[in-house]
Formats: sequence, structure tokens, C-alpha cells
Amino acid sequence: MRTLDPQSLTQHVDRLYRAAWALCGGREDAEDLVQETFARVLARPRVLSGEHELYYLMRVLRNTFFTSRRTASRRPVTVATLDDIVVADPRPMGQPEQALEMEELYATIATLPEDFRLALVAVDVLGLSYKEASRALRVREATITTRLFRARKLIARALTPELAPEPPRIATGRREETRASGVLPSGEPS
Amino acid sequence: MTNLPPHTESELVELVRSSDVRAPDSLHRHVDALIASRRRRRLAPPPRLLGATAVVAAVVALALAVGHNGGSGAPAMSMREAAASTLRAATLPAPPESRTYHAQLAAAVDGVPFPYWEDRFGWRSTGMRSDQVEGRAVTTVFYSDSSGRRIGYAILAGTPAPRIGGGTIAWRGGVPYRLLTVHGAAVVTWLRDGRLCVISGRGVPSAMLLRLASWSEHDATAS
Repeated sequence: MRTLDPQSLTQHVDRLYRAAWALCGGREDAEDLVQETFARVLARPRVLSGEHELYYLMRVLRNTFFTSRRTASRRPVTVATLDDIVVADPRPMGQPEQALEMEELYATIATLPEDFRLALVAVDVLGLSYKEASRALRVREATITTRLFRARKLIARALTPELAPEPPRIATGRREETRASGVLPSGEPS
Repeated sequence: MTNLPPHTESELVELVRSSDVRAPDSLHRHVDALIASRRRRRLAPPPRLLGATAVVAAVVALALAVGHNGGSGAPAMSMREAAASTLRAATLPAPPESRTYHAQLAAAVDGVPFPYWEDRFGWRSTGMRSDQVEGRAVTTVFYSDSSGRRIGYAILAGTPAPRIGGGTIAWRGGVPYRLLTVHGAAVVTWLRDGRLCVISGRGVPSAMLLRLASWSEHDATAS
């Protein structure tokens, strides 16, 4: 058991921002999400039971993401005007091609089904181990493996023009549904 | 499509993991400020050691927050007082659109103009009023939209601007906007050229207020 050192959190801002961007699909929303995540974490002293800080931050980020989305769904929908469009930061990275690539990559990740998106963000964007990701997302490790596999496949297809898009998978039975939700009957292998 | 799309899943993983996108400087600054604030709280004496002193301090802070100003000249401002003028009735005619700058009205406080929102957002200026809040002149312009909702936009004269606490902070374009609820109405406060601005309206969501506030910050003052 150890107390979370607030000062150590500064090193995770960039990585958490990338994770938030992939979750939300937009930079401005990502900025808000990271702000809110840190505000929550720093609201009171936190005790970690030997866990990596990033794993803990991923849990808070996930919870904050769900909360903010629920709150947003209760607000009236407003249509964006030209004034709402934020001009892209001209200095996000050194090369414009790379910037475009990343914009597209994160936007594509944000279109994934939520479970797949969270798995990909936890493992590939944040760099958590499968075990840490499974604990942060409260699912089995094997479920993370499956979701990650499918998420990567979907992203690779979406970003590769010569590959025909895969038709959307439609759940055909209870087993498929339970697999997709990550909740399996006890004793059933995933 | 990208210039170099990943052809395999391993290439995709490599692309995702190699991303070095950096968070905006404004976000880094905000997190640093949160951490510094947390550190200050940790360094403060524990509440149980303060006993009655802590209770008195809390009451004084609460008194300031709810508008019982003792006239001490403290820079803290009663948010209720500042926001109240945005919810009162207009006593002066609406200022017209500026002839010089299309994004502004022909009304300003210490050179800080009120924004013109009618063309962009459909919020038309309908009236104005002037008040004194804790010795400061407060000018408020009221706006209405087609559905009859009403917004008050107040600018407090003088610098330094009074401190406002509480609520949550949302950053737009490097500017911190404080979001609160006062008298059951959403309120957004921020600084323009060092002057405290307050915008509020019953039945108007804070997201809308924030959008209007941040637009005026970027466009009306820049033009």
C-alpha cells in the first residue's frame, strides 16, 4: 500500500491525453476529459495497493468518460457552427503527414465499439499489460485479448484502403452477446 | 486516407504505440496548477488542530461566498451579487451593434466591449442595466433568443478583478472559464483584459453559456 504522489502524475499527462483523444475522438473533448480525470484523482489523497499509477489513472479516466457521456446525453443537442470548429494546433508534431495520420488514427479508434475501444486504449495507447487492463476495465484477461484482437483488425481494415470493409458483425445468439459484453457464464472458457 | 496506412496489425500496433502526440500546453499548465493546489492543501495544518478557528474561518468564507461582505476590502467577490445583476430586469435600452466592429455592440466597460451575437447565434441584445457591487460598477447587457430564453452578460469595472472561487474550470483557447450554479442558474465567469465577466441565464445550459463566452473572448475582443 502506498499513497499516490501527485507530483508523479505530471509524467502521465501526454499519455492520458492520447488515451482520452482515442476515447472521445476529438482534442477538445479529450482535454476536458483529462482535466476532469486529474481533478477527480487530486480531490483527495489516494492509496494505491502496489499498482502502477497509469493503471489507476485508466480506471478513473474510464469512469469519468462514462460519467461525462451520461451527463452530455441529458443535455439538449446543439448543432456546431463554424465558430465552434477549433483550428488544429499547428505544432502538434513535427511533420504534417504524421499529424494527419494521427488525427485519422484517433478518429478511427473513436468509432470502434466501446468495449473494443477501451481495450485498445488501455493496452496499445496507454501501454498497460493485459492483466492491468483487465483489472482497470473490470473484465477477464482473456476478454481483453479477444477485444484487442478484434479492435486491431477493425482499425487495420478501416485504415487500409485496399482491404474491403468487413460487414458489421451481428450477434446471432446468446453466446455471441455474452462474449461481446465480456460477461461469461462461470466456468465457460473465453 | 493516410499517406502510410498500416498494412498489418503489427504495423498498426507499432503506429499506435509510437505516437508522440503531446498534450496542449494549456492542459499541462492546468494539471500543474491542480497539483500545486493539492500540495498547498497537504501543507496546511490538519483541521483537527485548528478546532474552533477552522470553524470560524469556514463561516467567514461562507459569508463571503453568500454575499455578506464585511467591507474589509478583501478581493473575494460575492458570486451571488455578481451573478444577481445578470438575472435582474433591464433598466436601459439595448445597445445597438457597433458600427465599427461587426462582432461587438456599441457598449463597453473599461474598453472591453460586449459581443454582438444576433447573426451568429440568434441572441439579440434586448436591454441593459448598471449596478454597484461591493463598490464596483457592473454593467449588464441582456440578450434573448427566439424561444424567449434570456441571458445576462455582466462586466465588472476595474482591476485587479475580484477573486471568484468554487465551481469547475473548463479551458477554451488557453482561457480558464469557471462554471458555477447560482440561484439555480448556470453561471460562467472568466476574465477579459483583466475584467471579470459573468454570464448567466435561467434554463440556458452551461455548455451554451460556455460557447458564447468563449466565442466572445476569441472574436469580439480580437476584432
